[in-house]
Amino acid sequence: MKVRAGGLAALAAIAVVALTASAAGAKAQAACGTVTLNQQAWAGSEANTYVAKNVLESIGCTVKITTIAEVPVYQAMADGKTDAVLEDWGHVPQQQQYVAKQKTVVAEGPNGVTGVIGWYIPTYLMKQYPQFKTWKGLKGKETLFKSPESGSQGMFLGGDPSYQQKDKVLIQALHLNFKFVSVGAEPAQVARWTQLYKQHKPVLFYWYDPQYLNAQYKLSQVQLPPRFKGCQDDETKGGNPAKYACAYPTYVLQKFFSAKFAKSGSPAVAVLKRFKWSNADQNSVAGAIAGKHMDPDKAAKAWIAANKAKVNTWLGK
Amino acid sequence: MEAAAASLSQPAPGAWWRGRAGAAIVVAIAILIAFFGWKNQLPWPASLTWNSLSHDLDNFQAWLSNNRNVPHPSIVFRAFNGVANFLDNLVGWLTSLLFKLTWAGTTMLGTLVVLRFGGRRAALIVLAAFVSFAAMGLWDPVVRTFALTFASVGLSLAIGLPLGVWAGRSDRFQRIVTPVLDAMQIIPAFAYLMPIVILFSVGPGAAVATTLIYAIPPAIRITALGIRGVPTNTVEAAEALGATKMQTLLKVQLPLARRLLLLSVNQTILFALSMVVIAGLIGGQGLGAVVTSGLYSDPALALVAGAAIVIMAIALDRATEAMANRTDPAHRHLTEGMKRTLRLYTAACAAAVGLAVGLGYAFGAGSSWNRWTAQNWLLGYVQDALNYVQNPNTFVFHITSPIGNFLVQYGLSPLQSFFVETPWPAMTFGLALIAYFISGLRPAVITFAMLALIGGVTNEWTNAMETLSQVLVATLFTLLVGIPLGIWAAESLRARQTMRPILDVLQTLPQLVYIIPFIYLMPVSIVPGVLASVLYAAPVVIRLVEAGIREVSPYPVEAAGAFGATRLQVLLKVKIPLAREAIMLGVNQGIIMVLAVVVIAGLVGSGALGYDVAQGLQQSLFGQGVLASLAILALGIALDRVTQGRRRKHIEFA
Repeated sequence: MKVRAGGLAALAAIAVVALTASAAGAKAQAACGTVTLNQQAWAGSEANTYVAKNVLESIGCTVKITTIAEVPVYQAMADGKTDAVLEDWGHVPQQQQYVAKQKTVVAEGPNGVTGVIGWYIPTYLMKQYPQFKTWKGLKGKETLFKSPESGSQGMFLGGDPSYQQKDKVLIQALHLNFKFVSVGAEPAQVARWTQLYKQHKPVLFYWYDPQYLNAQYKLSQVQLPPRFKGCQDDETKGGNPAKYACAYPTYVLQKFFSAKFAKSGSPAVAVLKRFKWSNADQNSVAGAIAGKHMDPDKAAKAWIAANKAKVNTWLGK
Repeated sequence: MEAAAASLSQPAPGAWWRGRAGAAIVVAIAILIAFFGWKNQLPWPASLTWNSLSHDLDNFQAWLSNNRNVPHPSIVFRAFNGVANFLDNLVGWLTSLLFKLTWAGTTMLGTLVVLRFGGRRAALIVLAAFVSFAAMGLWDPVVRTFALTFASVGLSLAIGLPLGVWAGRSDRFQRIVTPVLDAMQIIPAFAYLMPIVILFSVGPGAAVATTLIYAIPPAIRITALGIRGVPTNTVEAAEALGATKMQTLLKVQLPLARRLLLLSVNQTILFALSMVVIAGLIGGQGLGAVVTSGLYSDPALALVAGAAIVIMAIALDRATEAMANRTDPAHRHLTEGMKRTLRLYTAACAAAVGLAVGLGYAFGAGSSWNRWTAQNWLLGYVQDALNYVQNPNTFVFHITSPIGNFLVQYGLSPLQSFFVETPWPAMTFGLALIAYFISGLRPAVITFAMLALIGGVTNEWTNAMETLSQVLVATLFTLLVGIPLGIWAAESLRARQTMRPILDVLQTLPQLVYIIPFIYLMPVSIVPGVLASVLYAAPVVIRLVEAGIREVSPYPVEAAGAFGATRLQVLLKVKIPLAREAIMLGVNQGIIMVLAVVVIAGLVGSGALGYDVAQGLQQSLFGQGVLASLAILALGIALDRVTQGRRRKHIEFA
């Protein structure tokens, strides 16, 4: 009897252990652990980061979001503290250093969004002065854009110091009578041009797309000279201004992963590799978050619910 | 009495400058003539510039990164890694502890610790702060920021106070450490953020390291000032009675320097909290991250998060002050019976915290408060206010906008073009001569050297002159506002009480949070930047001037009163001259604070050096960022020496 009872107990114990182990095993297979995504400062990045977060959460990942600045985040990826950046606007020196040389960060290709940088004016102004369609139309009309700080010249509102720009040298190369006024960070620049926009005054500024404000304000692009072979974009290199006299390139926005993450075998890697959407997708989510002050998780979930097919391709279904 | 006699035996201030001021004005007129005669014709010559430095610095950073990011980095990198891990763990441990206590336990712990050691008033303030964090719906980021700040302030004080005591007792150490502190405060964090990230990686560790660089200097400076303010005769008396150096320090100097020691704790807390946003850029998490992303996509949320930083600052400050006062041995004489009661009280508090934690777990309170919050309601109100500010058809806009335009057109722009367009030889020699006439030979040589450094090494002449014109205006306003308000606060308790929360707000509310709405009201460059500088720098000046005047020993004041001097006479003839050192530290800190926010000014439209530094971090132009920062530092040293030259000489040869 005693032995039997003991045997039974042992059997029960083995069963319990086996059951727990199999449950744990099943769990380990499904779990992808913690994935850390970095959200860049602008609203578009918040949009794609939160959509990716909610998609990854639906397959059982825990997602953390960091908000590290654009350049330091490369070191964060090298250390494996941030796993992925889903929207990078081309940081050439970092890519040379971290991707090509150290191989601590991996380029994972485009996220489907194309970035456009250029000179913008309000559409009401374009209607009034159709010649502003190209930069040549600005010639002689610069004083229209006069402001208290531009003296006798017209004012050109420069962009956020962290963004790619070459407007100073472009103005010089095109022999335009503009004073480049740096108004600082993007929120400060937005304050400047929206205030003029609301008063229906003329304003010319550095701007880009995709940007959620483009849904709220009607803006038109001033065409810059077409790109030619060997035309330059990195203002800091100096040299002959004429070499810069071309439009900005279109930016194919890229995804970057930490090398550690890329090799981790986590199911999140495959999903994020397939992650791809359009400017319109990004603008609709960013507009909901920044324009309508929707909770980013809710905005992302709403978009996911409305775009099941696209999300399923990311999930490999 | 002796001190009063000493102050009378000094040459009366004001007597020496008549002739020199005249000479300085003549030099200024000469520069002006040079400006009109050779406007824009002699910018700093490229042949006098060392061009490769920026590139070398870039290479250095790449080298650092390439050697750090290998599988087995050298021992130096591993040492940094160790420090970073220690700091990461410290902050991480604090954070998880506060989360594990549940929101109920954390609230109870904070409130009761302050109640037990600081009294009812301070405890109520702390409790109100906790309630407001919950109501704002920012519990999670607040806890993270608190852990970060607690670690930073603790380490800053642990390093700063002893060094401050040393600097207070040794003239030599004071002389060595002062320029280092100037550099730590003036060089913008943006310039060294990238090397810090390479060495410490991202996360709380890097955030604490960055915060320490900025928060240690006030701890050292103000402590040293306090130790130096203890009357010499008291120290001599203690030594005559046979006290050892340590005894003199512990029983005489530190107790008598109490008020300034408290100010140094207060300033360390505020300085640490003013780094929260920067810390957010390198993975500090918490409120800084909320502010940064809010600025781009939800300004109302950025404002609310900024308010949470301010509330934390006020609560921390009041709590530490109350606890320091309550436990002041000079005012505490405990009998055995009282000690027993206090022990019981402590035990009761501990039990209450335990109970709160237990109940928190029993009812599943959760690590952070996220049930009902007033966040949406608050955001609605803030958004309404922002909408009003952003509307160019309001009554207010029609007043503010023309004022801004006028200031730029007839004040700041002409001044800027004067500095930028004057031929460089006139500027360098002229400013050095003015420094000579105002302050003497040494400051003049330093001014000249700094200007040469700006032109020849940093390659930032034009930007530096542009920044200089703005910095001069901002410093002038800072002192014009700060010194009188500081004197007023010293003389009137009510003024002091009214000003204190306002000063706390101005020192800790992230500038971008309130300056960007201001740009909507005054959409023009430079003015918002100058305003940001004045609003940030004036509180420090006010506080130092106030503390200095209140610290003046009561005997000469009483003596002057006995001779029948009026209150105004006592103030002007006794208190202000005796508080000279504190007032001059106020001037020095005013200049430094203005320069410390040059980058913020650059981010709200002042351009020039601040913009270059910001661009340096964000577009990986490390060399450019460092050189622009050096130019800011050079401006700071030159300005400081010109304003302080005579005082230094006085101390050194006295």
